[in-house]
This record gives sequence, C-alpha cells and structure tokens, in this order.
Amino acid sequence: MSATRVLGWLAVAGLGAGLVMAFGVAPREITQGNVQRIMYVHVPAVWVAYLAFLVVCGASVVYLVRRSATADTLAAACTEVGVLFLGINIVTGAIWGKPTWGAWWTWDARLTSVSVVFLMYVGYLLLRRMTDDPERGARLSAVLGVLAAPSIYLVHTSVYWWRTLHQPPSLLKAGSATMPAVFWLAILVNFVAFALLAAHFVGRRVRLLAREREAHA
Amino acid sequence: MPDNWSYVVAAWAIAAAALAGYWRYLARRERALEGAGRPAPRRAGEAPSRPPAAGAAPGGPAARP
Repeated sequence: MSATRVLGWLAVAGLGAGLVMAFGVAPREITQGNVQRIMYVHVPAVWVAYLAFLVVCGASVVYLVRRSATADTLAAACTEVGVLFLGINIVTGAIWGKPTWGAWWTWDARLTSVSVVFLMYVGYLLLRRMTDDPERGARLSAVLGVLAAPSIYLVHTSVYWWRTLHQPPSLLKAGSATMPAVFWLAILVNFVAFALLAAHFVGRRVRLLAREREAHA
Repeated sequence: MPDNWSYVVAAWAIAAAALAGYWRYLARRERALEGAGRPAPRRAGEAPSRPPAAGAAPGGPAARP
C-alpha cells in the first residue's frame, strides 16, 4: 500500500475522531451556544492552509535556486490544497459570523487580509495556467510563492495591529491557552485530521502533475 | 444565545462537500490520465492490429518499391 493511500485512510480515521470530538466530547460553549462548534472546522482549516503556504514558500525558494522540477510540482500542489482549505476557512467564518456578529461579511482587518491572501494564491494558480511557457510560468509563480508568504504573518497579526471585530487568537499566541483543554483538544484532533487529508491530497496532486508533465514532454 | 444548529450543519456540510469535491476531482483526473495512457478499445468487426512488418515505417504511409 502506498504512503499516499495510508495517509488517506489515516485522514478518514482522523476525520471520524474529529467529528466525535467536535460533537460528542466538546461541551456546548456557554456564551455562543452550539454555533461555536463551527470553530472545529474553521480554525484547523486555516492552520492547514498556513502550513501549505509555508511549504509553497520553501519549495519556491528551492526551485529558484536549483530549478528543481520536483520543488515546482510540490509548490503547485500545495498551493491548490492551501487554496481549498483557506476557502473552507473563509466560507465557514462567514457562516459563523452571521449568527454571532449579525453579518455574513464585514471589511474588518482580519477578514480583508485573509481574502487578499486567498486572492494572491488564486492568482498563483492562474499565473501557471495563463503562461504558455511552462518554465516561465514556474519561475513567475515561484517568485509569487515567496512574495506572498509574509502576508500570512500579516493575517495573523492583523487582530493586534488594527481594531477588529474578529477575536484575537486563542491558541497561536504567546503565553498559556485561555480556553479549556477540551476545546483546544478538539481543535487539535481536527487539525491533525485535516493535515493528514491535506498531505494525502498533495501526494496525489504531485503524482498527477508529474504524469501530466511527462505526457506533455 | 440560541444554538443556531442550521448554521453549524451548513458550515460542516459545505466543508465536507468541498473536500469530497476535490477528492472526486483528483480521482477523475487520475482516471483520465490512465485512460489516455491505454490503447483505444477495438470497435466491433475491426481487425486486430498487427505489429508492422520488418522494414515498414511505423505509422507512416506504406513504402512503395
């Protein structure tokens, strides 16, 4: 059995455990009620997207230095998977925002910065498809993959730098976690499940891109 | 605050649909590539393809003497 297949089965098991944690183990939150359970998909999705974009940055640097086709393929696959998870984060955030803030969307610093990051990585994917010369497309997208990475830091710190409706981070911050252990454990289990699924997707996408490259060569 | 279960179900269902949709997209692309790599299936009544005779140009017009 291939490593990608093993990752797929582990992800399925992890997603099952994540559902049990989110709906069975984690209690009803006292202020927001059960709508807070959206957090167990919203937060892990953005962490996985951040991770994918960090891999894009690293692989893009490797491509620019060594012109490695493997690094370019890995960056392209991670961008696609990162965009998928960031899209899930944005949509689930809007759904969570309606009952808690009274609005699906607001041009708050966190929401605006995350949508800019989303558009940057969608631009990365478009750039690859719009360029006739694959070598040039790979080079330009690698430059974008490096330049877009610092924007992740901007998204994370936007809630400190500007007055925002979005709450500050509860886990990815200095000092100890302020939420009860059962809540962050449910987030952690879902994060591991999403990360396994993302790794499975990246493995399959890398193989597909490599085969497509061979077919066009 | 009311529980708003419909929002919870919608968020999880959309996430599940997006992930399942990407899974299917990858599976479709894999099948398409496998199909492209295989020789086309023979139609009914069509003669089985034979390897070219020694000296014949593969795929080109038959060489005339």
